[in-house]
Amino acid sequence: MSTIIVQAVVSGIVTGCIYALVALSLVIIFKTTDVVNFGGGEFVMVGSFLALFALVYLGVGYALALLLAAVAMFALGVTFDAVTMNRIGGRLYTRQTELVPTIVATIGLSYLLKGIVRVVPYTEEPRRIPPLFNAPPIFVGDVVIQAQDVVIVVATTLIMIGLWAFFRFTMAGRALRAISQNARAACLSGMPVRTLRMVVWGLSAGIAAVAGVLFAPKLLITPDSGTLVMFAFAAAIVGGFTSLPGCVVGGIVLGVTQNLVGVLIAPQAISVTPFFIIMVVLLLRPQGLFGDAIALKKV
Amino acid sequence: MLKLSTIDAGYGPVQALEGVSLEVAADQIVCLLGANGAGKTTTLNCISGMVPVSRGRIEFDGVDITNVRAERIVAEGVVQVPEGREIFPQMSVEDNLLLGGWLQRRKPNWRGALDRVYALFPRLSERAQQHAGTLSGGEQQMLMIGRALMARPRLMLFDEPSLGLSPVLVEQLFAIITRIHADGMPVLLVEQNARMALEVSAYGYILENGEIVHQGPAAALANDPQIQEAYLGG
Ligand SMILES: Nc1ncnc2c1ncn2[C@@H]1O[C@H](COP(=O)(O)OP(=O)(O)OP(=O)(O)O)[C@@H](O)[C@H]1O
Ligand SMILES: [Mg+2]
Repeated sequence: MSTIIVQAVVSGIVTGCIYALVALSLVIIFKTTDVVNFGGGEFVMVGSFLALFALVYLGVGYALALLLAAVAMFALGVTFDAVTMNRIGGRLYTRQTELVPTIVATIGLSYLLKGIVRVVPYTEEPRRIPPLFNAPPIFVGDVVIQAQDVVIVVATTLIMIGLWAFFRFTMAGRALRAISQNARAACLSGMPVRTLRMVVWGLSAGIAAVAGVLFAPKLLITPDSGTLVMFAFAAAIVGGFTSLPGCVVGGIVLGVTQNLVGVLIAPQAISVTPFFIIMVVLLLRPQGLFGDAIALKKV
Repeated sequence: MLKLSTIDAGYGPVQALEGVSLEVAADQIVCLLGANGAGKTTTLNCISGMVPVSRGRIEFDGVDITNVRAERIVAEGVVQVPEGREIFPQMSVEDNLLLGGWLQRRKPNWRGALDRVYALFPRLSERAQQHAGTLSGGEQQMLMIGRALMARPRLMLFDEPSLGLSPVLVEQLFAIITRIHADGMPVLLVEQNARMALEVSAYGYILENGEIVHQGPAAALANDPQIQEAYLGG
């Protein structure tokens, strides 16, 4: 019994890291532009298909496929911001983001990407990407850890630390925080608000692609795998929706709870777990585990 | 140095400015006065590239800056101290100031500018590591001026800097603006406090419903009975 529980926790942490990566990609956009990206799941899905195409049609190695997918998605994120959000995201003199148009735009993004992927012939059947490393699994006692799991945890940790350091220590990161607190003042201080926002959309899409490529070996990819974003939203809300470490903690809490619920209560209860956790967190600590009062006001 | 020629601007169907022309010479403080909603903030925002200009031309130091991106206008040296408390509240006072020098960040010794700002506002240096949102209203106003100075301006635009300050702080504020000007900075000053503004200015413009209705040397405006009645409380 205890081995089963430990195993459930371990694989919960791994799934949680995937949620965390996607949550990070949502949160960096929200933090800096006040936009909730409902197309975030489709960034993940398109990222995994791009890597798959690179593997199948270009015959490149996994690492290169991952890199290509991330770079292509970076470009897609930048383009989406440039052609859409930049035009509707509210005039700079008003200080306020136009809420409804941005929501409609990101939902539109989600349908657009899904639609495009569906018309690509190769995507009719669910696909699977082989793992990044074909190393044998690691046994710790009776608990099995796949090499891919280690890759996922390490990649998530590195990306989180990298983003955190970027926002805290670089001038561009500080400028992005300033933009999120007062875009008008940032503009008047000479910060290139539009360009920096494009970079954030690019980063977000790139991270989503990394998540997509890392999780693809564990699950099947279909044009609908973007629904995974629900779990990322749950993770982000638990973490406070503006905190980067909050995403990781929120993702892991969610992943582990889901697995424990599956083992201890019933597998059917797994799908309601995220909503249950969101409710509990919002009741007990509405600002999330790591959020601040500002975040509460923004949401 | 700064020259607006018959500019129009608006917000969608709302026409906010109509044929506004004004000039600031290299060594002047010029004030722009007017009632609420007259279009003062809109004028400054047109200069700063925040509100699109639909007709006319804005020139700074011979360069056409009409409808140029806000960051390029700051790079040219035209820096606005906006109305209200436009700071980065969750960041330290020092980070607020450093970000004001964003465009200077690769220039040698741009942090040296910080010392000059602290010399002008010792209060800010005492509070350097505090979150800017915890500063008092007057301190936040000083922070915005300090942040603008970090951008190495060649012309400063002030939008109602005295708004919400106590009479003592208003005195201090005007003393600081005069001091910055004395160090060679031309200033375009938007104010509701017409009396104080005319006292420090060389020249003044009066805006009504988006149009310039009076202009002249500050002393002449201050002595004009019509203006005294409308803007100086009789
Ligand atoms: N964002 C906006 N959207 C629509 N109309 C606006 C906007 N900002 C200003 N206006 C309108 O433009 C006109 C000029 O406004 P502006 O803010 O320039 O006035 P002001 O002289 O700065 O007034 P105050 O002294 O109250 O600051 C007003 O009629 C105002 O209602
Ligand atoms: Mg105004």
